Amino acid sequence: MSSIRLENLGKSYAGVQAVRGVDLTVADGEFFTILGPSGSGKTTLLTLIAGLAMPTEGRILFGDRDVTHVPTVGRGIGLVFQNYALFPHMTVFDNVAFPLSVRKKKRAEIEDRVQEALSLVRLTGFEKRKPSQMSGGQQQRVALARAIVFRPTILLLDEPLGALDRKLREELQVELKELQRSLRVTTLLVTHDQEEALSLSDRLLVIDKGTVQQIAPPREAYLRPANSFVADFLGISNFVPLDGGKGVVRPERLQVELIGEHGSRGPSVTAPNATGRVREAVYLGQVVRLHVTLDDGGELIAAVSPAGPAALAQSGDAVAVSWQREHVWPLEATRSGAEAARRAAFHK
Amino acid sequence: MREQRLVLAVIGVTALAFLMMPIVIVVPMSFSSAQALTFPPPGLSWRWYDSLFGDPDWMEAVWTSLGIAAISASSALVLGGLAAYGLDRGLQRWRSLAEANFMAPLIVPGVITAVALYFVFAWTGLLGTYLGLVIAHTILAVPLIIIMIGASLRSLDVRIEQVAWSLGASWSQAIGRVVLPTLAPSIVAAWIFAFVTSFDEIIVTSFVAGAQTTVPKKMYEDLILEITPTITAVATLLIGTTVVALGLVHLLLKRGQLPSVQTGPAAGSTHSTQ
Repeated sequence: MSSIRLENLGKSYAGVQAVRGVDLTVADGEFFTILGPSGSGKTTLLTLIAGLAMPTEGRILFGDRDVTHVPTVGRGIGLVFQNYALFPHMTVFDNVAFPLSVRKKKRAEIEDRVQEALSLVRLTGFEKRKPSQMSGGQQQRVALARAIVFRPTILLLDEPLGALDRKLREELQVELKELQRSLRVTTLLVTHDQEEALSLSDRLLVIDKGTVQQIAPPREAYLRPANSFVADFLGISNFVPLDGGKGVVRPERLQVELIGEHGSRGPSVTAPNATGRVREAVYLGQVVRLHVTLDDGGELIAAVSPAGPAALAQSGDAVAVSWQREHVWPLEATRSGAEAARRAAFHK
Repeated sequence: MREQRLVLAVIGVTALAFLMMPIVIVVPMSFSSAQALTFPPPGLSWRWYDSLFGDPDWMEAVWTSLGIAAISASSALVLGGLAAYGLDRGLQRWRSLAEANFMAPLIVPGVITAVALYFVFAWTGLLGTYLGLVIAHTILAVPLIIIMIGASLRSLDVRIEQVAWSLGASWSQAIGRVVLPTLAPSIVAAWIFAFVTSFDEIIVTSFVAGAQTTVPKKMYEDLILEITPTITAVATLLIGTTVVALGLVHLLLKRGQLPSVQTGPAAGSTHSTQ
């Protein structure tokens, strides 16, 4: 197992800077995610770490070993791509055995370890199949078995679940996490799917336009985004005034109450932060999402429990929206002055 | 609607008949028992095939053609295969220039290539040699190989190779154990195609062959001197071989279709069928 360290890593293609100034340390055994929209440089970062492209500046270290100029074959990484990239002419067994057979392992050892890897991804009995005879989820499990069978110190996953439908994706997410935990292999996942990033990672990195926006554990990045890009990319964010600047508050932190015909409200909120009308109420099963147009013209999105009274709100209804000050995270400009106090409040 | 379809069918069948006519005439004529070229043949016999296989000149031409076709197809496969790989995976900046250069023998009219080779071969002493013919046919076959292997390389996802490297395969292991086996059907198809093209080649061959005789060259020379039905036997054999070879190419390319790269959510739930 091995840590990954990037020092001031940069890459430009024909004068276009795809990635710049990335400093990052991924701890031994950590599940780390690189999250960003398409074209953000996240895939470039992965190709640099995999050795499929050479950086134009900076260094890459695996543990204490400088691998900046080591080609892919010498890096000892397990690589899984979105499109599985299985060898189409080989059976499942031969695909998984490939890393061992190029290392000239003995036949008996190959047999044992292939069986072990296949049982880890729950594909025992599929040895003789060809990739074309398997479903997408099964193919991706084969790719995963092939990537771990030679016990790499680092596992790189490039949108590994992106080609699968939602239910299968969620199943595989759980399996992937379990597998990673039991193997304790340092894992780097590249994805544009914020839910995947939040649910799987120990820590994540948000990248945009080739520059790192934030490195933090999922919960922190979600609740305390470094800037409005991160806030927006990681989920729905409401920008509200705060101390003369602005802050961000997540939809589930908003309380919504229906205002009665005579302007009466429930007893719980004495002074709402804003009032407005419901523009649209979206029922999502676990949650009801209310799009509220405020009286001052602003927009808020609130997520309320389908069991609560606010879930009955319909489009056109007058509502009062309120939030607690400690649930509002100040953004860039606002932060400098109020940061210390805010941080103290957050950690309570 | 119906008339339109009828007209279309008539035109189609006529065109097909026109194209097939020479074959329809030549094949029965080769089995003729008559002394000279007559159609329809008065009786059937193997005499012209006997005279073909009994004629040492013809047999020499056949062996020369087979040898040159096999050697030039093989060397063009190596050169063209490497060029296709380089064009697809390596070269960035000079790609179009290099590609134009490799494609030139296909685009430049045959006579021009022939004349150019004539002077170069005269100068280097290769004119009229077996080696000279092999080189000439190799040059002509390289662009065909590049086109065919290039097409299947493009459909082979580069990530399959990258994964092989990450799994510990050296460049040569990745090529030998992953790329070549995957491309095998189109490699064989490309070789057959180059072989047939060489076997059939007449323009460049007439210029540079000297005393060497290939099958097409001998056919042409025999037609000028005297017309015997032997030539129809040769033609029939050529037609047969070509049909078989092209049928083989078709089968190989169909079998060799790579499973398409699966992306997008739909791929997760569909099984690709072969």
